[in-house]
Amino acid sequence: MTSTPLRDRLLRKIPNVRALVSPAQLAGYDADGLGYKRFVPDLVVIPSDAAELARVVGFLHGERVPICLRGAGTSLSGGPVAAQGGAIIHTSRLRAISKICPEGLWCEVECGVNLNQLDEALQPSGLCYPPDPSSGPVCTIGGNVASNAGGAHCFRYGVTSNYVLGVEVVMLDGTLRRFGGPAGGHGPWREDWKRFMIGSEGTLCAFTRFWLRLTPRPEKVWTFRATYPDLQSTERAIHGLVRHPAFPVAIELMDPRAVALVETSSMAVGLPQDHFLIVAEIDGPAALVDRRAESVAQVLRDAGSADVLFSDDSEMRAKLFKARKAMGGLLGQVRPDYLVQDAVIPKRALADLLGFIYAEADRAGIPVVTVMHAGDGNLHPNFLFDSRKPGDLEKVETISKRLMMRVLNVGGALSGEHGIGNDKSLYMGMVFGPTSLRMQWAVPQVFNPAHQFNPLKVFPERRFAA
Amino acid sequence: MKELDHERFFEPFIDEVDGVACVPASYADADIARITSPLGWRFPLILDEETSLSAQVASCFSAPSSSRFGPYCDNIVGMNWELPDRRRVRVGERVVKSTTGYDILRFLLATDGRFGRATEYVLRLRPACDGGGIVFFDGPQGSLESAATELMHSCYIHWLESMDWLTTGPQDARLRIGIHCPQDEWPIFLMHLDSIAKGRGLLTTVTEGNGQVFDGLPDLVLKTTPDRVISLARDMAQYPGVRSIALCAPAMVHVYLPSGTEAAAVVKKMVWPLADGLHSLGGGWKSRHVECPLFGTDEASWVKSLAKEWGVAA
Repeated sequence: MTSTPLRDRLLRKIPNVRALVSPAQLAGYDADGLGYKRFVPDLVVIPSDAAELARVVGFLHGERVPICLRGAGTSLSGGPVAAQGGAIIHTSRLRAISKICPEGLWCEVECGVNLNQLDEALQPSGLCYPPDPSSGPVCTIGGNVASNAGGAHCFRYGVTSNYVLGVEVVMLDGTLRRFGGPAGGHGPWREDWKRFMIGSEGTLCAFTRFWLRLTPRPEKVWTFRATYPDLQSTERAIHGLVRHPAFPVAIELMDPRAVALVETSSMAVGLPQDHFLIVAEIDGPAALVDRRAESVAQVLRDAGSADVLFSDDSEMRAKLFKARKAMGGLLGQVRPDYLVQDAVIPKRALADLLGFIYAEADRAGIPVVTVMHAGDGNLHPNFLFDSRKPGDLEKVETISKRLMMRVLNVGGALSGEHGIGNDKSLYMGMVFGPTSLRMQWAVPQVFNPAHQFNPLKVFPERRFAA
Repeated sequence: MKELDHERFFEPFIDEVDGVACVPASYADADIARITSPLGWRFPLILDEETSLSAQVASCFSAPSSSRFGPYCDNIVGMNWELPDRRRVRVGERVVKSTTGYDILRFLLATDGRFGRATEYVLRLRPACDGGGIVFFDGPQGSLESAATELMHSCYIHWLESMDWLTTGPQDARLRIGIHCPQDEWPIFLMHLDSIAKGRGLLTTVTEGNGQVFDGLPDLVLKTTPDRVISLARDMAQYPGVRSIALCAPAMVHVYLPSGTEAAAVVKKMVWPLADGLHSLGGGWKSRHVECPLFGTDEASWVKSLAKEWGVAA
């Protein structure tokens, strides 16, 4: 099948636009990183530029079909999928880095620019764009802004919203609007509307381009690795690092189950399998970080580690970080599916939450390995399961729900960097009271009142009524 | 799934592990320090020692220490908010990182009271150190600007508490650099700054302390890009009696009018010729004396819709 009435009408309106409808083509768009939840779109459109994207949105708006924007599809929350059918607009051809302004410390990029592509382009200027989700080689800036992505190095540098100076968007009626710009203010608008757009998970508008804040690259980096026999000493190390004046850029934690997963694989690096692992980094001017390195190592030793390693050599640093980087790729060796949760907790609640995760997962017979951006309290338990096995998915969803209730009870947040998507939308009613929920709902009422953009995401009641 | 049938609120607290504290929005610097200092934390984004934090947030986007830590909206992670009809809600979280629903927190922080007011803030705190100070550079403006540019483009900028261009007239300028650091790192900063100054024939004056500066609430704030901020501050200082401060990294100009000025009239006179240029860059202005106008019928309708849904008068 290469033709449908919707595609035919689209091509009559926008003759040369790339539009996919064959089942084989649509199959590549039926899921994101939450691979076990599949929704096949009716149509995938790949516009060639922002103007064409605007015309496509205008057309689809008139056709009254759901519209879902998609970058690389690496979201882990079920965001860029056609949960209510309709069309996916794939932004892969909007890949221009339009301008890098080293003097003004900003750049202008299209929404489909890939994170590593941007990093390479920035290298000669000595500047960088710090957010670094682990999908960096693949993910797009558009997806990062939509989900307010973070990454390992966000403890000091901050997340995506700290770096978005301005956004250009296509509104539902197909008009292009710009909010903010290189200076990062409101522009001519009285209110700072871009704040609603960033992290809105494609539910308000379609992004076309961004103005991003850049910052000087660090002159030097030190990486530290330490293992701990118990959670108490691990927590001491995290608490010590968090308030160290060296202000680490990254404090990463792997629990013993995650360490064991690496150590029983071909990626083993020789860590004790029953220990917690902390990997931390400090960066800055050489004169400062060289002076700080030993005192950071001492914090790790004082907390109870007997095997603190640290280095400023790039090859050695990569080795120290290897276990943390390798873990994600090993999950599929245990079970065919995984669900990574993304809660943020007060750090003093770590023992409580880890104990809860282990108890729940073990009782259900679901393997779980946990990593954490420990500086931010951003906990990522990875539940490993087989969605083809009857009952497995239900078990994981039950654990997730109970975990999220526990997270809220200790004062945490549902998501730190993945967004809500359709994975966690059911939990939003536990977060917001009646008035604050009404305030949340008011935002799509302004820009997308019928929920035609990305329905059934963020709030489960956001259903498009064609 | 059981839905909440009531609003959640932040109660006053300080978490010395996470470095966050919930304080009344009416607190001034000393009130905040009284809670945070004994535990080795601080909240550095203070413009004026005497004024409430809510007044500071309403009048500015940033403080001098935003050079290192970003604007207020990156350092206030949650708040209790009172709508104009006295209903209260909680906005944001007590953890620093969250992407849970629409970012109403940052939107409201920039609305200058049009949709209600904060009653409590949850602040992100920073480790307090025992050393630091203020370093002034004096000399020809071209050399000062060159020094500022070099610092802005080196990774030292992440570690400078503030870097501000101070000017009170076309011929008068100083570069002020605040540093807050462990005592044993202070000589490293001094050596680096000294080498930058010497290479340009600039004079340095050093005052030891904690690196904090208090300039007071500005009458007008202009937002531009880092490469234009010094020239904008210079332009503002051409008005008689006006003192202007360029916060170099946040790219803000804080303008202080002479006392006895009819502030609203002067602010309008200063802003109108600049507004289009600032807006084209995605910048803008704000003043505690003059409200920015709505931008056309679209924004008016969006505000009306939002106000209706939030149950407040537009």
